[in-house]
Amino acid sequence: MLSSYLTMAAILFCIGLYGALSKRNAVIVLMSVELMLNAVNLNLVAFSKYGVVPSLDGQIFSLFTISVAAAEVAVGVAILIALFRRRGTANVDEFNEMRR
Amino acid sequence: MGGFYIDWSGELVAFFAFAVVMIVGAVLMLTLTKVVHMVVSLAAVFLGLGGMFVVLEAEFVAFVQVLIYSGAVTILLLFGIMMTDHQAAQHEPTRPVHEIVSAVAAIVLFGILFYAIRTTEFAPSAPPLQAGVDNAMEIGKQLYTQHVIPFELVSVLLTVAFIGAIVIAKKEAE
Amino acid sequence: METVFSQYAWLVPVFPLAAFLILTAFGRGMKQSGPLVATLASFAALVLSALILFEHMNGADEYNDSFTWIGIGGFELTAGFDVTNLTALMLIVVSLVAFLVNVYSIGYMKDDERITVFFGYVALFTFSMLGLVLADNLLTLYIFWELVGVCSFLLIGFWYQKPEAKAAAKKAFIVTRVGDVGLLIALLLLFWYMPDHDLSFSAIENVFGQSGLITEGITTLIAILIFVGAVGKSGQFPLHVWLPDAMEGPTPISALIHAATMVAAGVFLVARTFPIFEASQAALDTVAYVGAFTAIFAASIAIAQNDIKRILAYSTVSQLGYMMMAIGLGSVTAGMFHLFTHAFFKALLFLGAGSVIHAVHTQNIHEMGGLGKTMKTIAWTFAIGALALAGIPPLSGFWSKDAILAEALHANPALFAVGIAAALLTALYMSRLFFLVFAGKPKAGGEAHESPAVMTMPLIVLAVLAIFAGFVEMPFAGTGWLGEWLTGHAAEHEGTALVMLVSTAVGLLGIYLGWLIYVKGAIPRDVVTSRAPWLTRLLERKYYIDEIYHAVFTVSLRAIGRALDAFDRHVVGGAVRLAGGAAVWTGRAATRMQSGQVQSYGLYVVIGLVILVAAIAGRRFW
Repeated sequence: MLSSYLTMAAILFCIGLYGALSKRNAVIVLMSVELMLNAVNLNLVAFSKYGVVPSLDGQIFSLFTISVAAAEVAVGVAILIALFRRRGTANVDEFNEMRR
Repeated sequence: MGGFYIDWSGELVAFFAFAVVMIVGAVLMLTLTKVVHMVVSLAAVFLGLGGMFVVLEAEFVAFVQVLIYSGAVTILLLFGIMMTDHQAAQHEPTRPVHEIVSAVAAIVLFGILFYAIRTTEFAPSAPPLQAGVDNAMEIGKQLYTQHVIPFELVSVLLTVAFIGAIVIAKKEAE
Repeated sequence: METVFSQYAWLVPVFPLAAFLILTAFGRGMKQSGPLVATLASFAALVLSALILFEHMNGADEYNDSFTWIGIGGFELTAGFDVTNLTALMLIVVSLVAFLVNVYSIGYMKDDERITVFFGYVALFTFSMLGLVLADNLLTLYIFWELVGVCSFLLIGFWYQKPEAKAAAKKAFIVTRVGDVGLLIALLLLFWYMPDHDLSFSAIENVFGQSGLITEGITTLIAILIFVGAVGKSGQFPLHVWLPDAMEGPTPISALIHAATMVAAGVFLVARTFPIFEASQAALDTVAYVGAFTAIFAASIAIAQNDIKRILAYSTVSQLGYMMMAIGLGSVTAGMFHLFTHAFFKALLFLGAGSVIHAVHTQNIHEMGGLGKTMKTIAWTFAIGALALAGIPPLSGFWSKDAILAEALHANPALFAVGIAAALLTALYMSRLFFLVFAGKPKAGGEAHESPAVMTMPLIVLAVLAIFAGFVEMPFAGTGWLGEWLTGHAAEHEGTALVMLVSTAVGLLGIYLGWLIYVKGAIPRDVVTSRAPWLTRLLERKYYIDEIYHAVFTVSLRAIGRALDAFDRHVVGGAVRLAGGAAVWTGRAATRMQSGQVQSYGLYVVIGLVILVAAIAGRRFW
C-alpha cells in the first residue's frame, strides 16, 4: 500500500517538475511548484501512517510545509506583481539579467 | 504490492478514485490554454489530495489542506493572474528543444523514483498508525509540547511573509 | 738537416690574415693605403715561403707541429701544420700568384668604391688557401676548404649589384657544396676506420700504405668520396658548371682563385691523400677517366665560346682534367708539375685578358681585333701564355703536358688518344682567341691603350716563369729533379721521344689551323657552322648541361619545396588552426548555455541530478 502512495507522489512531483521547467508564464510556474510541494506532503503523510516507524510526526511536518508553502505563494505573487509593473510582462524568458 | 494479485479493499478503491482525480487535474493543468482554467484544475488537484489525506486517516491535515490550499492559495494565484497577465492564449515562440528535454528529464526522474520505490523493502517495525478517534487532539498535543518551537517560528515566518508581500506589492509612491 | 724557417711556417698565412683584419677594421679611410698594406702582407708571405722552399730544396727534413685543439676525456683532436716538399711547392705557387695579383689589382681596381673590401677579401682568401696547403690533418684541411669556398663566394659576388654576379656566386657555392658533402662523408668514414681516429696525413700514409688494414671496398668508397669533393672544387664534370659562371667576378680574382689556386686545391687534396687512392685501383681509374673526359669535354665547349673569360674558364676546366688524369694514372709528379706550370701561364692569360677588357670595355672577342698593334706588351705576354698552354716547346706547358701524355701512353693508350685530341682542341681554341683579339683589323673604337706599369709588371714576371718553370722536370736522364724531390723516387719515362714529337705536332697543327681560318681566311670561318649548325649550337650552349640541371634538379626541388610549404601551411597549420578553432567553438557552445533563463538552469540541475542518481544507483550493476 505504501508504494502506491509513494508512486502517486512521484507522478505528481514529476508533472510539477515538467511544468516548472517548461511553462512560460510565471504564475503557472508558481502553480507547478505548489504541485511539487503537495507531492511532498503526500509522501510525508503516507510515511506517517505506513512508514518504518509510524508516528504522528509526519503529519505535523506536513502542517509546517503547508504553512511555509502558503507564505511562499504570497511572497511569490507579490514579487510577480512588482515585476509585472516594472517590465510589463510576466514571461519568464524576459527576465534574463543573469546572463553571462 | 507485488504481482497482479490485488487485494480489493475500500481503501484501495478510494485511493484509486482520488488518484484519478489528481492526475487528470495535474495533466489538465499543464495542457489547458486559458490560465484561469489551469487554476481551477489545480484546485481540483488540491481537493483530491485532501480526500487522499482522509483515506490516510489524517483528517486534520486534510482539513488544513482544503482550507489553505484550495482556498487561500488558489485565490491568491487567481489574484496574481488578474494583476499580471490577462491574455489567456499563449502566442509566444515555442521552445521545442527545451520542452522535449525537460519532459524527457522528468520522465527519467520518475523512472528512477519508481525503480527505487519498487526495489526498497519497507518492513514496518510496527503496525500502521492507529490514529485514534480524535486526530486533531493528538496533533494538538504533539504540537504544543514537542514541536512548540517550530510552531512559534512558523508564526513569525508568516508575519514576516505577509509584511514582506505587502511591501513588495505596494504601488510606489509618486 | 735542421730547419730554420720551417718552424715559422705558421706565420705565412698569418700575414694575409692580419692584412684582412686591418682592412676590415679600418678600411673606410684607407682607400690609398689599404691596397699597399695587403700587397705588403702578401709580399711578406712570399718571402717566407721562398725561404722555406730553398730550405727544403737543399734537403731539409719534413717538419710538423701540432697542438691539441679539442680534448675530451681521452680523445683528442689536433690541428697543426706540415711542411713537406709538396707543401713547400704549393706555398710558393700560392703566395707568388697572390702577390702578383695583389700588385695587378692596385691598377685594375683603382676606380672601384669598395677597393679596400676587395683587398680584404683577397687577403682572407690567401690566408685560407695557405692554411689549406699547410694543414696537417684532413679535418683542418676541411675547415680551410670551406673557408676558401666562402671567400670564392664573396669575391665572385663582389659586384653584387649585378644580378648575374649574385646568381653566379650562389651557384658556385651551392655546386661546390655538393662536392663538399662527399668530402665530409669521406672524412667521417676515415674518422670511423682510422685507428685512434687519427686524421693526419702521415697516419693516412701509414695505414693505407700497408694493405689489408682497411678493406678494399671501404678504401675505394673513401677515395671516391674524396674525389667527389675534388670534383666540386676543381670543376670537373659533372660539377663544372659553376666555373664559367664565376667569371662574373673581377678578373684578378678569376686569375687568382679560378685559375691558379682554389681550383688547384682539388688536385692538391687528391695528391695529399694519394696513399688512399694508391690502395684502390678502382678509385684511380675513376679519377683518370673523369679527368680525361673533362679535358676533352671542356675543350670542345671552349671552341664555340665568344666571351674571352669563358674561353679561359673552360680551358682551366680542361687543364684540371689533365691534372686529374695524371694523378689517376698513378703519377703525382706529373699532376703536380702541370699544376705548377699551369698556375703561372693561366694566371698570365687571365691577367692579360683583364688588361684587354680594361682597355676596350667589352668581353666579346668578336668585338675586338687588331689589339696587337697598340698593346704590344700585353700581346707578347699573352702569346707566351697561349703557346705554353698549347704545349709548344721549350715553354713550361710543353714539359708538363708531355709528362702527363707519356704516363698515359705507358699506362692506358686510350687515354693517351683522348689527351692528344684535347691538346689539338686546346691549341685550336687558343689560336682562335689570340688571332681574333690581337691580329687583324682594329674594330673596337680604336682607343685601346697599353695598361699602366703596375698591371704589366706582373704579366712580365709570369711570362718569364711560363718560359722557364718547365725546366725543373725534364724527361731526359738526370734532369728529372721535381719528381724525385716530390715523391722520393725518380719518375720513369718511357717512349717519351714519340710523345714529344706527337704532342708538338698536334700543337703546331692546331695553331696552323687557327691561323688558316682566322687570319688567312683560307678556310671559311663558318665551315662547321653552315654545315652543322646543330653542332655549333650544342657546343655554344655547353651541351645544355645547365638546362638539364635546371630541369632535373631546380624545378623538381622547387616543386618539392612548394609542396612541402603547402603541406606545412595547410596540413600542419590546419591542424593547429583546428585545435584553436575547436577550443573557440567549444567556448561559444558553452556560452550559449548561460542564457540567463532560470528554467534552463533548472533543467541543467535536473539533468545533473538524474545522471548523478543513475550513476550511484547503477553501481550495483557493474
